[in-house]
Amino acid sequence: MEFGFDNGPHLKDKDHTSKIMSRLLMALTPIIIFAVYKNGLLPYLEGYTNLYGMLKPLIIILLGVLTSITVEIIYFRFILNKKDNLIEEVKRSYALFPGLFVALTLPINTPLWLVVLGSLIATLIGKLLFGGLGHNIFNPALVGCLFVIASYGALIGARGGYLNPMEIDTIAGVTPLTNLSNINYVGTWSNIVKPFGSLRDFLLGFIPGSLGETSKILILLSFIYLAVTKVIKWVVPVCYVSVVFVMTFIIGTMNNIDIFYPLFHILSGGLLFGAVFMATDPITSPTTRIGQIIFGLGLGLLTVIFRFLSPYPEGVLTSILTMNMLVVIIDKIGAKAKFKKGYLNISLIVLLICIITFSIYIGYNLKSNTNKVDDRFNIIEIREENNKVIYEVTQKGFKGLIKANITIANDKIIDVDITSQSETYWMEMENQNYINRLINKQDDLENVDVVSGATISSNALKAMVENVLADYEVRK
Amino acid sequence: MAKGIKVLSNKSMSLNDQLVECKRPEIVYIPLVNHSKMDCECLVKVGDKVLKGTVIGRRNDNIDLPIHASVSGKVIGIEEKLYCNGEGVKCVAIENDFREKSVDLRGAKKNIASYSKDDFITILKECAVTGMGGGDFPTYIKYKSELNTIIVNAAECEPYITADYMMVKLHADEILEAVDAIMEINGIDKGIIAIKESNIEMRDEFIHYLGTYPKITITMVRNVYPIGWEKLLIKEILGIEYEKLPSDKGIVVNNVSTIYAIYKALKYRRPISKRIVTVTGERLQEPKNILIRLGTSMKNVIEEFGGYIGSSKIRFIAGGPMMGTCLDTDDLVVTKNLNCVLVIDDKDEADLPCIRCGRCIAVCPANICPVLIKDKVNDFESLKYLHPEKCIECGLCSYICPSKIRIRESVREAKKEIRRH
Ligand code: SF4
Ligand code: SF4
Repeated sequence: MEFGFDNGPHLKDKDHTSKIMSRLLMALTPIIIFAVYKNGLLPYLEGYTNLYGMLKPLIIILLGVLTSITVEIIYFRFILNKKDNLIEEVKRSYALFPGLFVALTLPINTPLWLVVLGSLIATLIGKLLFGGLGHNIFNPALVGCLFVIASYGALIGARGGYLNPMEIDTIAGVTPLTNLSNINYVGTWSNIVKPFGSLRDFLLGFIPGSLGETSKILILLSFIYLAVTKVIKWVVPVCYVSVVFVMTFIIGTMNNIDIFYPLFHILSGGLLFGAVFMATDPITSPTTRIGQIIFGLGLGLLTVIFRFLSPYPEGVLTSILTMNMLVVIIDKIGAKAKFKKGYLNISLIVLLICIITFSIYIGYNLKSNTNKVDDRFNIIEIREENNKVIYEVTQKGFKGLIKANITIANDKIIDVDITSQSETYWMEMENQNYINRLINKQDDLENVDVVSGATISSNALKAMVENVLADYEVRK
Repeated sequence: MAKGIKVLSNKSMSLNDQLVECKRPEIVYIPLVNHSKMDCECLVKVGDKVLKGTVIGRRNDNIDLPIHASVSGKVIGIEEKLYCNGEGVKCVAIENDFREKSVDLRGAKKNIASYSKDDFITILKECAVTGMGGGDFPTYIKYKSELNTIIVNAAECEPYITADYMMVKLHADEILEAVDAIMEINGIDKGIIAIKESNIEMRDEFIHYLGTYPKITITMVRNVYPIGWEKLLIKEILGIEYEKLPSDKGIVVNNVSTIYAIYKALKYRRPISKRIVTVTGERLQEPKNILIRLGTSMKNVIEEFGGYIGSSKIRFIAGGPMMGTCLDTDDLVVTKNLNCVLVIDDKDEADLPCIRCGRCIAVCPANICPVLIKDKVNDFESLKYLHPEKCIECGLCSYICPSKIRIRESVREAKKEIRRH
């Protein structure tokens, strides 16, 4: 009888890294399908794009995946000179993920060559040059994504940025977060959320954003699945999102903005996608539970800081890459804290102080800025005539500018005189006497129902009235 | 502190049969070993006649413990044989004369509870009672301090092993009698028998006799591994955590088989000469519990009971699947601390790169960070705060690793690195 040898233990858990990766892929599948539907199929069905436009999201995703697999094959074959088991090696390295994630974090209007480049950078620089799977410090996909956005952001923006063919025609401008930064982070439901629909649209994902990030409900479902099946370190996203919630809640409350504000922050941009899929990348996140808590808290703090205090309103990508750098130190704290509780307490206290200080600092500074108005609004002239103030203003509408003279007397708007407009659905608004409704309910604009069929135009008018009132308030 | 996890049990394999006794061996090999001391003094020479219970060797460093012959006969040599930790050790080879002549140790009392504490300790020492769950740690040392609680460890948390269960099935009454006596002698007022909640049968065995001993209670513990580890067991049952030894808190934990050895020692003032070994695994003809004479070569036992099945490579493991040691031959001698021999297929599972999932950390009952230790195996400064020396080698880190990395080996290496400094 021949005797084999193994150090043991001789029982092994049934779970396996390859199964973990399959579950990750499974969790991503609905998100991929939704991305293809929302950015390709839907605009096609609604007649906003052609066949190529319909297939574009799918092409981007496939291209990203194929690129990173190809890069790994070439790398293993020619740089590492592995001839036998080449396919096995590439399989074991889970080559498809960097490219897949790059594709999911990019805007729909990214040129295809840039998708290839981003995926190449992600795989080669983000992963392979560090030593391959398990050795990279930074999340590979984010490295690729950062490269693309930082070097070619303007190019992509010029091509329509994050807006799919349908959104280009129906939503004026930008992603919710860029919009928020344009209006200087403070505002009301009607200029923060309303331009993009309701929080329900945010939840379902029918808002502009990168391919994978928009459907929050699918991301949340994936999160539950991944947490229950132990694929991801669930502590990280929980801490991350909680901190963002708490901080934006404080900031919002200090500026008299309702509870929708923190929810808006959580449901906007890549926060949830980043928290669930990127921040939890096992290789680039801490291994100790305490480390994961610190990591999550730090991510939340950085994201809020980046969102409010840096020129880039997204913040998730940069925060994750920054925290990736600190993982070794954080794990060291995590390991030490197992035997000396002091390490844990001190780090938590420091983080908590930072979280509170920054919330108050940001909240306070926004206050002094409250008066800036959105950039779709312009004041041409303000005249005073016998106790009346007349604003000559423009507001960007559904199609082009809406020009108006707005008269204020006794601190109230008494007249809105539209001098020129080219809105498609103007008649609907006139029919419903929308302008008069605005004037009558000017103290409670939020509750003026928009004219169905002319949502964007109605919102533009409403914003115009709001902006005038805000400006008048300041000047007084 | 992690609380252990549920692992596959595989116990039914060896449970289907009654206890069988193997043939008396022609030659026994008694290793000159106790606990961590691998080279105890030899007190006999070739040609000496010995009886069952003759002291043939002695551990005489900081611990004093005799080593007994398990048969009567003639010393025919000092040979190197495989011990259950995988090392070859010096053994006294005794040719069995099949007369079972025993050393007559006088002074055994009918009422085993009537010994004084000093006598009790002397008896444990002279009968060389040691931990039979695998540790081989001299039991008398545990009783040297003031005690208030005794926990009988019948949790038997390693998969496959049913030797303790078999012991209880046959000797529940004697075990309870011994526990009661130990409590009486040591002034212990709390006696707890710890049984896994999945093992209702074992509880029922005890319940048949429990009425006689009102001071002893049964506690059912979670069916997780490694619940049988003293530290975890005490935490689970009493909610107490201790630094170094359970006796710091007045607690003593003994395995059921060790309790039975104490019973024998008190009743007959004789060391045990046999033990129950679970001989199991899918590559054996007849997995079962076997009563084996100490010093028997496992090779003969396996041959006697039908040998191996199949022809592909096997793994021969001394001990359970989690903590046992893989050996490259079956020429293993049976010792007091060998509770299991496991023979399974040798399936090689290649390891994958570590994905830093952190499961090995989450699962470690010793509360250390195996994957971080692996990163720093040779970095003494870092090891100082990573504390690999706290590892109990339970194997859970390797068990749970989704990349099938034998991460316990890295921790073992780091342990050695610490010891070198
Ligand atoms: S369980 Fe395995 S893969 Fe996970 S961190 Fe530990 S060694 Fe790495
Ligand atoms: S073998 Fe050691 S390091 Fe691994 S889980 Fe058990 S105690 Fe922890």
